[in-house]
Amino acid sequence: MEELTKEELQKYDGKEGRKAYVACNGNIYDVTDSFLWKNGKHQVIHHAGEDLTGELREAPHDIDFLKKFPVMGRLKK
Amino acid sequence: MAKVTREMVEKAGLNVDEIIELLVKNAGAELTTYYYYTILRANLIGLQGEGIKEIAETARIEDRNHFEAIVPRIYELGGKLPEDMKDFHDVSACPPAALPEDPTDVMAILKVLVEAERCAVRGYTHLCNITAGKDHRTYDLALSILNEEIEHESWFSEFLGEGPSGHFLRRGETSPFVSKFLK
Repeated sequence: MEELTKEELQKYDGKEGRKAYVACNGNIYDVTDSFLWKNGKHQVIHHAGEDLTGELREAPHDIDFLKKFPVMGRLKK
Repeated sequence: MAKVTREMVEKAGLNVDEIIELLVKNAGAELTTYYYYTILRANLIGLQGEGIKEIAETARIEDRNHFEAIVPRIYELGGKLPEDMKDFHDVSACPPAALPEDPTDVMAILKVLVEAERCAVRGYTHLCNITAGKDHRTYDLALSILNEEIEHESWFSEFLGEGPSGHFLRRGETSPFVSKFLK
């Protein structure tokens, strides 16, 4: 499984046709095909290419929501 | 635009353009849901479907009311609706509540309905969380809509056999929480 640094993850911002990846608890998920992640943005304030572990704790849904998306790799510590 | 209204929200530390974008996305979700629910309602037929039709109709009408209630707030804050209806559809805060592959499968229609309501409950909770104590009018609006979306979710959840919902089909006027924004 591929390992990405935070800087490498930022390239997957979902903009201009790029893939949209988000990290949570060390896993990197591909949310490109999600209706709710169009153009790399979710609910206006959450952005692809970032580690959303902290933001997800305050989200109005479980972290389990991300588990339906394919895991593309791990976030390097 | 209501200049001081916008200024007050900015001074409270909120990014007003983000609030407007969220309101536009939620308005898009409400209007598209109203449209898709029209198709779902038309397909709620037969012994199973007819029992759900009335409650689906109430949710449909209330979602249209939510759209009507959100729009003035968008303009008050200096925003506007997309000029192209297709763009409006595509920025919706929730996925299309599309008719299931088998339109005679009432349980599948119910799942579409409950998922649409759950998306709305999450979306308005998010909007409430952001605006609480900062943008009082948007908060009041989002909370009023949230109250109705929670009831919609409860109705459909009960039909799916997920347990008692604690709610009953509305009698009388629709939108008991949002109607104050429609006068």
